[in-house]
Order: sequence, then C-alpha cells, then structure tokens
Amino acid sequence: VNDLQARFIPQFIDLARGRIARGIDVATKNDHQGVGLTARELHALAGEAGLLGLTAIVSLARDSEDKARRMQASQSSEDAAALVAALRELGRVIELVEPTPDTKGPT
Amino acid sequence: MGRFILRAEVRWNGATTVSYAYDLTPGSVFVVSDCPAPAGSALWLRLSFPGVLEPLDVEAHVARVRPDGAPGEPGGLELAFAASSRIATLLARLDDGERPRSERAYRVLLIEDSSFMHDMFAFAVEQFFGGPGVLAIDHAEDAERAWDKLSREPYDLVIVDYFLPAEDGASLIARMRRDARLARLPVVAISIGGRNAREATLSAGADLFLDKPLVLRDLFNTLRVLSHQRRGRGEGERILVLDDSPLVLALTRAALEQAGFRVAVAETLSRFEQARVEFEPDLILVDVQMPEAFGDDVASTLRGFHGVQVPIVLVSSLEEDELARRAAEAHANGYIRKSEGMTELVRRCREVLDGASP
Repeated sequence: VNDLQARFIPQFIDLARGRIARGIDVATKNDHQGVGLTARELHALAGEAGLLGLTAIVSLARDSEDKARRMQASQSSEDAAALVAALRELGRVIELVEPTPDTKGPT
Repeated sequence: MGRFILRAEVRWNGATTVSYAYDLTPGSVFVVSDCPAPAGSALWLRLSFPGVLEPLDVEAHVARVRPDGAPGEPGGLELAFAASSRIATLLARLDDGERPRSERAYRVLLIEDSSFMHDMFAFAVEQFFGGPGVLAIDHAEDAERAWDKLSREPYDLVIVDYFLPAEDGASLIARMRRDARLARLPVVAISIGGRNAREATLSAGADLFLDKPLVLRDLFNTLRVLSHQRRGRGEGERILVLDDSPLVLALTRAALEQAGFRVAVAETLSRFEQARVEFEPDLILVDVQMPEAFGDDVASTLRGFHGVQVPIVLVSSLEEDELARRAAEAHANGYIRKSEGMTELVRRCREVLDGASP
C-alpha cells in the first residue's frame, strides 16, 4: 500500500491543487452555476483521498463539498465565503502531505 | 462429444418465453419452445447458462418450426441469425472445454424424491466426469432436507424436481429467492409436468426449466465444459471498474493487479459496455456519482435489463447508510466505501468473489 501511495500521491496533490484553485475562483466570484462542478470535484477528491488512506483530507473534502452544495442551493455570499474558507483549509492540509512512503502526511 | 444445453429467452410479438436451446452453430440454434412464431418471423433471442455463461443477445428469425419428436425431443423453433464474433467466441469456448481451469469441484444439489433418478445422476457424474473431483452431486429427497443442506453447504447449482412430497419445487424455489443468501444461486427445474410445471417454476425464480425425460448426457456435457472454465481464486479473476475519476481507476487497477486480479477500467458508459462484452468480468465495480449516470442505476440496468449474473458492487465515498440503501435497491452484491482504503477494497473484492454474503 505504501508503494501505491508513493506512486499516486503526487498525482493526487496536483489534481487537488487544481480543483481547489477552481473552487476558490468559483466561490470568490459567487458563481452559483459553476459551484455544481466544484461539488462534484470535491466529491471525487474525497473518494481519491479515501482510497489513498488520507482520512483527514476525506473529512475536509466532504465538509467542503457540503458547503459547495449549500452555496449552490442558497446562492448566498455567506455560504460562498464559508466555502472559500473550507477550501483554503483543505488546501493547507493537502500541502502537508508528503509524497514518500516514509512520511505519509496527515491521516 | 454431446450436445450443449443453454437457457434461451425468446421475445416475439411483445411476449417473452423462457426455455432451452441446443445444436448451436455459428448461424443457427434450435430452441425448445411453444412460442407460436411462424417461419420467417423476426425475434430476439438471449442465450445463457445460469451461473456459468453470461447472457448473449441475438437478433434471429425462425427458419423452421419443428413439431414434437420422440420422448425427450420436444418441438420448437429452428432459429437462424447472422454470424457474430460473440457466437464464435462462445462456440470456441464450448470446444475448449477439455482444459480444466477451476481448482475445485462444481457442486450441485439435486432435489429429487426418486432415488433411482439420483442413481442416474450419480452414474452420469461417474461416466462424464470420471468421479466427483470435477462435479460433485449432493442429494436431498424433499424440500425440508434440501433447505437444511442449502443453509449449511455452499453449492454452485441446484437442480430441483417440481413434483416433491409435501412442498413442491416451485414453492422451494420461491423460498430460496426470498432468502438473501440463496437469491442468486442458479436453479434448474426439471419435471414431467410440461407447461404448468415450467410456468410455475420459472415464475417462482428458476433460471432454467428442462422437460423430463432428461438427456443427462446433454446436461452434463454442458456443465462439464462450462464449469471447467470457471476461473478459480488466484487464477486471475477479472474485475471491471467503472469510475469517472482517472486517478481512482489508475489506483484501483494498480491495487487489484498487485493482488493478482486481471483488471479492465472504463471512464465512460460506452467504454464500460464495450469492456463488459469483450473482457467478460467475474466482478463489476461501479462508482455511484458519475456525470453520465448514477452507479446504482447502472447496476440495476445490468441486472434487470441485460440479465448480468456476475456480482456487482457499488463503490463510493457516500455515507454508509445511503450507500447501503442504494446497493440494496439496485440488487447489487454489496458496497465498498472509498474512505476505507485500498486494502479494504481488495479484501471485499476477494470476499465477494469467494461467494461470501455481501
């Protein structure tokens, strides 16, 4: 499993960075139509993190996905701001993940 | 070499009849059927065998209507169809049946009150398989004893007579279908009861109905070939994975291949369908939330419309309650939560393929 983590975590981090950047952009612009895609991407991110054993990231990604769906439903700037904050926290934790078998990062 | 018996579903004029077929060639097959389609009629045909051959759909037409012959040779329809690679593959598979591929005996429970009939089966096993190493027949005289055996022993196939003392075969089959552990166990019903027995057992959930007198040589020839070809654990069982995330597909493939499975992956429904036909998976893993469709809808369509028999498991990062509900409603064999990681995913795949309850 460690071998697989080492092999796939760099790809996961690259993908996650792109998704988080897009999500922050959508939320900052109050783009209530684009946030549906953000929610789907965060759902995928949670699944990928789960398979990689990054359980702390799973929780944060799910929380961000919930906030994205809330923003989509309410179209409120408060929910957009909450999503931005959640995504920034998610991004911060993802940067702590070390792509080597010896240092698995947050679990 | 004897003939092969296959389950046959014929749809003509809006009605579907289930019976059996033999004498398959690249362009024709004979279907034992009382379907009233006249010569020249176009119809839809699905060939399969419970538990060992996935459904194969064919557009066909009636070349000839054959009347009843001698005992054991009921009448039916000679069907013709265009040659296809799938039929050619099936015929090649039937021709290739001498090569054993499975590591354990194919276990059959015969539920039949006639001890002479049991002796005939036992003799046929000896004759066609050289003993019980490849195909092992167990016997129960009535529904009560059968239920006791079914509750304790794992079987690959049940052959049940319609006329049994106390509880009849149809009632027993219906009881099996209501029990989660036995709901998908392949069942072949047999009887001298003709149409009434056929309709009663098929509507109760039998996969196949065969008229007595049985041509045991044909039935056992089919079992011999198809059961040989089951792939046992550790022999590269095939898993097909549908997920819209390329990373999940790459990761799942790597983990499963590392565990010794053969893996095909699909990111879209069209690629999935192509792979399902060509790869002939032993297990299908389906993500739930995808842009094209929900995985539980895919699973229920595979089961209900395409007649897929192999296990289907939903894989998702949804909460457990919702995932369990969706899996049950889709008649999937279970679910795997992505958040439980790759080790658990591999373990669950092994468990499902080993026939453990979901």
